[in-house]
Amino acid sequence: MGIKLYRKPELEKPIMFVGWPGIGNIGIIAIKTLKGILKAEEFGEIEGWDFFYPRKVSIKDGLLEDLKFPSNKFYYQRLEGKDFIFFIGEEQPTEGGRMYASGEKAYRMANSVLDVALKFGCQRIYTSGACVSLTHHQMKPRVCAVISSKNLIWEVKKYPNTIFMSEIGGRGEGEGTITGLNGLLLGLAKKEGLESICLMGEIPDWLSGVLLPYPKASKSVLEVFAEILGMSIDLSFLDKMEAQIEEMIESFYAKFPPEMKEEYDQRKFVNRVKPGTITVQAQIYIDERFKKGGDEGGERPI
Amino acid sequence: MKVEKDPFEIYQTPQLHSPSLIVGWQTQDIGKLGNGVIHFLNETLGGQEIAEIKPLGFFPFGGVKFKDDLVQAPESKFWACEKNNLLIFKSDEPVFEHYQFLNLVLDFAQYHCHAKELYTLSGAVSYIAHTRPRRILTVFNHPELKNRLQGYGLEEMTWEGPPAISSYLLWVARRRGISAVSLWPEIPFYLATREDPQAIKLILSSLNRRFNLNLNLGEFDLEIKYQNEKIAQLRMKDTEINKYIKMLENGQSLDEEEQLKLVREVYELLK
Repeated sequence: MGIKLYRKPELEKPIMFVGWPGIGNIGIIAIKTLKGILKAEEFGEIEGWDFFYPRKVSIKDGLLEDLKFPSNKFYYQRLEGKDFIFFIGEEQPTEGGRMYASGEKAYRMANSVLDVALKFGCQRIYTSGACVSLTHHQMKPRVCAVISSKNLIWEVKKYPNTIFMSEIGGRGEGEGTITGLNGLLLGLAKKEGLESICLMGEIPDWLSGVLLPYPKASKSVLEVFAEILGMSIDLSFLDKMEAQIEEMIESFYAKFPPEMKEEYDQRKFVNRVKPGTITVQAQIYIDERFKKGGDEGGERPI
Repeated sequence: MKVEKDPFEIYQTPQLHSPSLIVGWQTQDIGKLGNGVIHFLNETLGGQEIAEIKPLGFFPFGGVKFKDDLVQAPESKFWACEKNNLLIFKSDEPVFEHYQFLNLVLDFAQYHCHAKELYTLSGAVSYIAHTRPRRILTVFNHPELKNRLQGYGLEEMTWEGPPAISSYLLWVARRRGISAVSLWPEIPFYLATREDPQAIKLILSSLNRRFNLNLNLGEFDLEIKYQNEKIAQLRMKDTEINKYIKMLENGQSLDEEEQLKLVREVYELLK
């Protein structure tokens, strides 16, 4: 299945953290940051060529040196009796031009990750992504949780700033879908009897289609991870990125027509706001402005 | 979308003995190089259509494209030129499952035809004037083939960036132990969307020499002359165009607006 392990670390019931790119890259920023803080070491990968088109070719003096595919790597760390495995995928495999991972490739990718989790005796998997909600960008994003078993309810209730998806406004009866691999892996893990928890950072609906990272929500997720691991994490290094993004978001927000702004600002004071015309208007407004941004051009492939 | 269990449609088994495989792409075919070279080789050398890769799983089927009122169905075909011991493949670039597709190309070449080496053909959009000599930029997947092709006047390429399908094929071929080279003749950017007979002739000359094909390329001299004359007339008629091409001839750069005008005018001229 294209799993390549460079070494086989001895791990005891490790916890696995998994991140893929998605809306606002909330999950992958959180998982990558945690991996960096814990100084986890690479120990394997899922070979990418069966899943992805290569990203980069290196040619020197007429010789093809290398072809780089989006990476799908495993890392591990042992810390004071706690063992961790991280999996970070640079891209979600898609089929038929779909935006999010689906179909056979996604299934195979998720199963490959799960194979490694089972091989090393993982008992729990955390995935992370985005929770698109009717929140306001000036509010601290909450973390929304979906769990594989009712046994986890009390534990998750203790997590800071965390709610269950059923508690969030504007969603019918707590039902929904976690698209892409963050969701698929949860389902497959559950079938194998593993505990799995998806922690999703809140992002305002009108920002979900904008191709910008949303580190503010990644921070919220990281704060939960810090609680889970019982450690304090200095997240100040994310401040610069967060400030830059906030500035861009604020500049869009400043251009909202007054009545739209007024309606949107109500979100700061109302817990559960029903979807109204503002969402659509704002989305169109933002989409148009991003379209005007134009094509970046880029080089022709060789 | 699943690829068919038997992905090949095989019409005949050719008499080839460790042939060389020549590959051209008809998607984004800069200077219509792939089409031009492969069409000429098949016509001149009597290429027989021997097989194709079935499109299911590699191309979208949500409708059909058409160009100049003609329906464009995706095609991935093999021809054999038995007398010259050449295997030829021309295809649209797959949209899905590239790795599987490229492996199928090599499966057919390797297992059905015992091909020993591979040549891919693609045009390199270049910032040169059409009146200047063209180079063939090359990429090899194995140093041994690079050494063997010394003396063919090929220029070594150095580049980093997103890979074209030819580079991807070279990489897949290397994994399977097949020596391969990509030939990238320079094509002036303002001829990229039109046929560039000079680049086609350049590649054919190179293949002619490499495989002793005894090709008569005289017809391309007429096409080159005709195209050059048309552009020369445009230069006489339009002083700006003349200035831009002269600047390119002198190694000077054009700004975006100048480049666009040149591309547009030449495109219209060679319609």
